[in-house]
Amino acid sequence: MKPKAIILRGTATNCDIETFNSFKYVGAEPELVHINQLLAGERKVLDYDIMAFPGGFSYGDDISAGKIYAVKMAKLSADFKAFIKGKRPVIGICNGFQILVKTGFLPENKANAQVSTLYTNDCGHFLAKWVKVRINRDSPCIFTKGLPEEIELPIAHGEGKFIVEDKKIMDSIISRDLHVMTYRSNPNGSMLDIAGITNAAGTCFGLMPHPERNFFAWQNPDRPAAAREAEAAGWQFFKNAVDYVG
Amino acid sequence: MTDNLSNFTSLPEKQLVELDSLCGWSLSLLELQEAQRQFSKMGRQPTRGELETIAQTWSEHCKHKTFSGPVAFRDGGKTKKYKNLFKETIVKATRTLNRKWCLSVFTDNAGIVEFGKSGKWGLAFKAETHNHPCAVEPYGGAETGVGGVIRDILGVGLGAKPVLNTDSFCFGYLDGKKKLPKNSHSPERIMRSVVEGVRDYGNRIGIPTASGGLYFDDGYLLNPLVYVGCAGLIPVDKIEKKVVPGDLIVSIGGRTGRDGIHGATFSSANIDEETTASAVQIGHAVNEKKTLDVLMRARDLGLYNAVTDCGAGGFSSAIGELGSETGAHVKLENALLKDTRIEPWEIWVSESQERMILAVPKAKMKKLEAILKAESCEYCVMGAFPGDGRLLVAHGDESVVDLPMSFLHGGVPNFEKQATRRKVKISSAAPARPASYGQVLKEMLAHPNVCSRHSVITQYDHEVQGGTVIKPLQGKYGDGPGDATVIWPQAATLDQHDFSGFAVSHGFNPAAGKIAPYQMALHSVDEAVRNLLCVGAEISRTAILDNFCAASPRDPEVMGDLVLAAEGCHDAAVGYGAPFISGKDSFYNQAKDADGKEYPIPMSLLISATAPVEDIRKAITMNFKEAGNPVYLAGTSRRGMGGSVYNDMAASGNNFISPLDIKAAVKLYSAILKAIKSGCVAAAHDASQGGLAVTLSEMAFSGGFGAEIDLTWAAREKGLSPLELLFGESPARLVLEVLKDKETEFLKLIKGLPVCEVGYVKEEPSLCVLDGGERLFWEDINALKNCWKRELI
Repeated sequence: MKPKAIILRGTATNCDIETFNSFKYVGAEPELVHINQLLAGERKVLDYDIMAFPGGFSYGDDISAGKIYAVKMAKLSADFKAFIKGKRPVIGICNGFQILVKTGFLPENKANAQVSTLYTNDCGHFLAKWVKVRINRDSPCIFTKGLPEEIELPIAHGEGKFIVEDKKIMDSIISRDLHVMTYRSNPNGSMLDIAGITNAAGTCFGLMPHPERNFFAWQNPDRPAAAREAEAAGWQFFKNAVDYVG
Repeated sequence: MTDNLSNFTSLPEKQLVELDSLCGWSLSLLELQEAQRQFSKMGRQPTRGELETIAQTWSEHCKHKTFSGPVAFRDGGKTKKYKNLFKETIVKATRTLNRKWCLSVFTDNAGIVEFGKSGKWGLAFKAETHNHPCAVEPYGGAETGVGGVIRDILGVGLGAKPVLNTDSFCFGYLDGKKKLPKNSHSPERIMRSVVEGVRDYGNRIGIPTASGGLYFDDGYLLNPLVYVGCAGLIPVDKIEKKVVPGDLIVSIGGRTGRDGIHGATFSSANIDEETTASAVQIGHAVNEKKTLDVLMRARDLGLYNAVTDCGAGGFSSAIGELGSETGAHVKLENALLKDTRIEPWEIWVSESQERMILAVPKAKMKKLEAILKAESCEYCVMGAFPGDGRLLVAHGDESVVDLPMSFLHGGVPNFEKQATRRKVKISSAAPARPASYGQVLKEMLAHPNVCSRHSVITQYDHEVQGGTVIKPLQGKYGDGPGDATVIWPQAATLDQHDFSGFAVSHGFNPAAGKIAPYQMALHSVDEAVRNLLCVGAEISRTAILDNFCAASPRDPEVMGDLVLAAEGCHDAAVGYGAPFISGKDSFYNQAKDADGKEYPIPMSLLISATAPVEDIRKAITMNFKEAGNPVYLAGTSRRGMGGSVYNDMAASGNNFISPLDIKAAVKLYSAILKAIKSGCVAAAHDASQGGLAVTLSEMAFSGGFGAEIDLTWAAREKGLSPLELLFGESPARLVLEVLKDKETEFLKLIKGLPVCEVGYVKEEPSLCVLDGGERLFWEDINALKNCWKRELI
């Protein structure tokens, strides 16, 4: 049976369809679900095997990126906690990562409180470009298994500067290799060049770059040299999630 | 003041004109008198709401009176008369070509052509301008410009899904030496705000802004131009729309407020110190995104019979348009408001953003409401389309409008515009030789009209939806300047195994227009087609859009430019077999500063072009790919420095513009397309602004390779100087990098055409160009790149 992936959306979630397409391509059975449907009880997250928070500008990124979506999730927090605790794969891409940080699911902490943020880029504005990222191959992250040490992915965000106030929390991220992904040339001012982090189980993963935009070789700006093979680095993230539950 | 409404039909001329300017209608005396006549015939006085409706419906913005009106063009001793300039040039070309893949032209909110192989999809394409609002309030003007053109795509047929936004801007020089006029914003402030507006709106709504251009000229100091375009996919069975009598009028999306009162009429006036910013709307991208999400679901479920957007004129034109056959009964008190101090007539004409009007069968209202609620999208039922042909608008007991539809959409009085050919002195003397070609090249690469646009492009999310396969920035370092963008609309088709895509490009050359408007139009269409060719698009299926921006049409020379450019559009469209499918025009781009001095813009014609890409995996980019590959120059270099960037930097003493030979270009391009499709070409890049030397430099530094170039045997007109060869901008030329092991096949395909081998790609990072035994320049590619890669903002 195909694993069921819930692609969570809300007002102005913009990368939902390409994320849906990506999960479909690797053999999952994705479904787009609006947070309103969860709040109305029409859908339950625990009925799914994989969860994705796609990129976008949920609720306009008013207040701060991902904040309103995170607040809307609070009522359903028990279900989300159970999903993550049950080690079902969760990926938050860009705005999705911002949501996971604002809810306090990442970085993982006992109080389940927001302990970090993704703040306005050092350049002061939205930035869309391709960057090189290093993959921490010692990290427990299930999404990045099998990837080479360095890959290319596009970023597209205005608030991607990862900041942790408490040094102890940062130390525990680093010492347990929960920093899955770091920028080779820091585009936003993130602490320790961090581009993506995971929970200790390696199943809940948030990242600023967009793997769904480097899913096929022909999405790379350098062509045709790169366009010879079909699947590119981003494909691996989705494939890994399906393999993990399958 | 407005008391005069009670005796409107008997007002003398002077008071009529005063009333018009007081109310901000921008109607001509002729039009005001026509309204007087009509109401006299009905035997009553008009209400404010009725006159407002007339002002909106008859405005330049909605009716395009200048372009669609009669013109007398005096050229030397001869006079040519047009009854309808637009129909006799632009539309005529499309009718002549009569392409069966054109599914909808000139009738709806956007043009539609066939898309892909499945026969299931149409591609809707539209470009708009939002110049006047951006001159007054650049951020808001840019935002709502983007929002407006997206709604055109949402409101074409039963709604298309937007997959690409385009943006092209014109500003005064940022480092201009001209002293700023008294009441003007600095061009840098305008540019920053416009870019921020496009960024904040386009990014939030999740449509990639991935194609466009930037152009600087001091003619745009007081009147910046902001062209915004949008392309979307629509199922072919959703192109027809028809209101059925009895349908409800449902407004979805944003609320109505006092922002944007008189936007349509204000764009028919020159800007001066009296112009107010309240004519500019306030944008809210998130509301439009909700509307988009609702529409796409409701469309696929067949929940409405017709849709259109609230643009210029607000409810009055949207409801008026949808109900032009059935009539419409509207209850303004049902409108959701964001400002309670609003007058009923203001609700009727307000141009508040993010509103779409649907014609919904009563039986389907429940289902539609469920979707609206699921997406948290606000809506209100404004009335119904009754079928009696009357426009009845009321607010409670107060009648706001009571008119037959035929009155509004019948004959708008129009008068003949005078046009005459502008006198320009042409010098075709041999251009003066500069001290160092290398130095010129470096300065040229840093020229604002040539240098890198990355500081603007990277602020836009140009890859959302995952379908921007040929990006505006490309090559080894992801920063090379692409010729055309290629979109693979996987987010609309939901099919990752269908590799159909489309390319979008632009052509724009006001510098040539100052000298020869007819040639400008030809060159602009040529540039747009050539850009499409550079990525390997199917150019025989090119469809184009025209967007004219001009100064006041009361100036006969401005009208003369328009006539010549429109004739050029006709000839180029027919010559390239590229029909116009939609277009828009914006006049009165002429501002007065505090001292009363007039600043007219140069005639500005933006050609936006699209063509199918059969297999997006095979589309190509512009950067050099591999050392050892031969480099070819296609097309004949011709004499003349007219309209060139060089002439803006230095006085060459030559302003001749070489005429374009369309037949030769078409023959050349179709052979090159064959070569690209058979995999012979590794890179292609057009020679346009800055000329051949800039083209070669960009191909080199975007790929991280050098090149040895010898132009001695390149096809050229007799007597061509090295300056014209390197920096002249004669059209129909492009540089190709050919794969070494495919060279024999390539040569067979281009046999007999002016395509000449001019050198090869090399590892060593230097660009060396020779001609006739003389080394014209030798430069390090990284030094060239450093000149080019400027942070404009």
